[in-house]
Amino acid sequence: MTAPTIAGGNTRATLRRNFRRGVWRALRRKPSRMMGVVILGVFTFMGLFGPLLYPERLPRDDNALYAAPSWAHPFGTDFEGTDVLALVITGARYVLLTALVTAVITVALGTAIGLFAGFRRGRWDAVLMRITDMKLTIPALPLLLVLSTIWKFTSAIEMGLVLGFLGWGGVARAVRAQTLSLRERGFVEAARGLGLSTRHIIGRELLPSMAPFIAMNTLIAVTGAVYAQVGLFFLGVLPFDANNWGVMLNLAVFGGGALTTTTALPYMLAPLLAILLLTLGIVLVVDAMDEIFNPRLREE
Amino acid sequence: MTVIARRLAGHLARGFVMILVVTTISFVIIRNIPGDPMRARYEKLVEQGMSPDQAERATAVLYGFMPKGTMWEQYVDYMKGLLRLDLGQSLSVPGTGVTTLLASAATWTILPVLVGTLLSFAVGIIMGVYAAIKRSSKLGDVLAVSGSLLHGLPQYVLALLLSAVFTTLLPIFPTGGTADVTLEPGLNAAYVGSLIQYATMPVLTYALAGYGGWILAMKSSVVTVLGDDFILAAELRGLKRGFIFRYVARNAILPLFTILALSLGLLFGGAIFIERIFTYPGLGLLLLNSITDRDYTLMGGAFLLITVAIVIANIVADMLYTAIDPRVRSGQEAS
Repeated sequence: MTAPTIAGGNTRATLRRNFRRGVWRALRRKPSRMMGVVILGVFTFMGLFGPLLYPERLPRDDNALYAAPSWAHPFGTDFEGTDVLALVITGARYVLLTALVTAVITVALGTAIGLFAGFRRGRWDAVLMRITDMKLTIPALPLLLVLSTIWKFTSAIEMGLVLGFLGWGGVARAVRAQTLSLRERGFVEAARGLGLSTRHIIGRELLPSMAPFIAMNTLIAVTGAVYAQVGLFFLGVLPFDANNWGVMLNLAVFGGGALTTTTALPYMLAPLLAILLLTLGIVLVVDAMDEIFNPRLREE
Repeated sequence: MTVIARRLAGHLARGFVMILVVTTISFVIIRNIPGDPMRARYEKLVEQGMSPDQAERATAVLYGFMPKGTMWEQYVDYMKGLLRLDLGQSLSVPGTGVTTLLASAATWTILPVLVGTLLSFAVGIIMGVYAAIKRSSKLGDVLAVSGSLLHGLPQYVLALLLSAVFTTLLPIFPTGGTADVTLEPGLNAAYVGSLIQYATMPVLTYALAGYGGWILAMKSSVVTVLGDDFILAAELRGLKRGFIFRYVARNAILPLFTILALSLGLLFGGAIFIERIFTYPGLGLLLLNSITDRDYTLMGGAFLLITVAIVIANIVADMLYTAIDPRVRSGQEAS
C-alpha cells in the first residue's frame, strides 16, 4: 500500500522528518524546554522504579515523629516517623499510573469521537457534539464528589477509568475542529478522489498528521488527571488504600495541622513540590510543542 | 436581532435539558445510596409509632419525594418538588430547608469568586499585552512561562502554598470562617475590616489561579491581532506606538469577555478546594460537608445549584459573544 504522493514531496516520510527536525529545533532554542523533558524523564523513572528503590514497608522511626528536615530526611518525617521523601517517591507510581490510564482513555475516546464527528458531519456530528457540550458543562469535580458517595474508586486503574470517562469532552472538541480543517486539505481530497475507504483516510491520512496534536492533548490530560486524583484524596472523600501524594496532603493538612503549625509543614510541602515540578515539566514540554504547531506564536 | 433571539432560545432549551440531566443524576444517586437511607428513615418513624401514611409524608418532606410507587412515580414527585424550588429538608441540620442553607452559602461563594476573578482579569490583561509585545525577549519568556505555570497549577496547590506562607510561617491572615466571631456583625468598620481580612486569602487564590489563564489568552489574542492588516496599515501610516497599543488591546480584549463569563461559572466548581482549605463557608464547603455528613438532600441541592451557575454562565458567555462578534450577529457561524 503506497501513500499518494502529492506534488512538492509532501509524503508522510518527509512530513515526519520535518516534524522531528522541528521538535529538535524547538527544544534546542530554549534550554528550559530541555529541562522540561528531563523533569518528565525523572518522574517517569520514579513511577516505574520508585517503589523498587525502597523496601516494601518503609522504615519508621518512633523517635523522630515530624522530624525537621535534615540530611537523612530532606523533607523531614511524617506522623509515624517515615521519611517524607521516600513517601513522595514511592507514591509517584499510584499517581502516575492513574494519570496514564486516564490520559489513554481520554485521548482514545476524545480522538475517536472527534474524528468521527468531524469527518462524518451531519446528524451524527450534531448529536455527538450536543453530548460533548453537556459533558463539558457538568462540573467534573462536584460530580466526582457526588459519585464518590455511591462508588469507591478503589484501585489506581479503576480511578483512572472513571476520570478518563469523565474527561474526554475537551479532546473531542479539539480533535473535531482539527478534523474539520484537515478534511478540506489537498491530501485528504486526493485520497478521497482515489476512492480510498473512509477507514483508510482516517487511519492513514488524518491520524498521522494529527498525532503531535494528540500527543499534546495527552500531556494536558495527564496533568488534569494528576490534579483531579490528588485533589480527591486530599479532600478525603476516598478511602485511603495506598500511599500517594493526595493522601499525604490530606494527612499533613487535616491530620498534622500543617496550616496552623510549622511542624508538619515539610510533610505538606513535599508532595506539593512534586506536583509543582511535574506541572512545570509538562508546561515546558507543551510550550515547545505549542511553538511547533502554532507557527504564529513563533517570532518572525 | 432574530439571530440573537434564536440563539437565546436554543441556549435556554439546552440549559433546561442540562438541568434535567443533572437532577436526574442526583435523583438516581440519592436512590442508589448503599443502605437506602430513605427506607431506614421511614422504618424508624414507623417504629416510633407513626402511621405508615404519616411516616411516608415525613420522609417525603425530608427528601423532597415519596419513596413509594414505581421508580417513575418517584421521579415525577422529585421533579414536581423542584418546580416549586422545594429541595427538601436538610438531614444534618434538622429543621432547615436545603434552599435556605444554599442561599446563605451562595453569598460566601459569589462575592469572593467575583472579586478574585475581576482582579485577575484586570492584571492578567495588562500583563498579557506585555507578554505579546515582548514575546521575543527574556521578560516575555518569563511572563509566558509563569502564566502557563500558574494556569497549569491546580487551585489547591496555590491555596496550600499561600496558606503555608501567610498563615503558618507568617501568621498575617486568619484562616477559617468569614469574620472574627467576637465582633458584632453589622455595618461597622471593625466588622467590615474583619470580613475583608478573612476574605483576603480566598480572593487572592482565585485571583492567582485565574491570572495565568488571562495572560495566556490575552497574549495569543494580541498576537493574532498584531498580525491583522489594519495594524500594518496603521504602522505604514506612521501612527505612534501608543496608538497601536490602544488599537490592539481594544480589539484583542473582546473575545476575552466571553471567557470571563465562562470562568466565573467554572470557579464555582473549583471553589470546593479553596473553601475547604480556608474553611470558608460557601457552596463548595457546603457540598463537601453534605458528603461527609451523608446529607443527601443537601448534596443534591448543592450539586444542582453549582451546575445551574455554570449553565447560566455558559449562556451569558455565548450571548456576549453573539453581541460582540458581528459575524455571528449576521448569521454566519464563527467557528
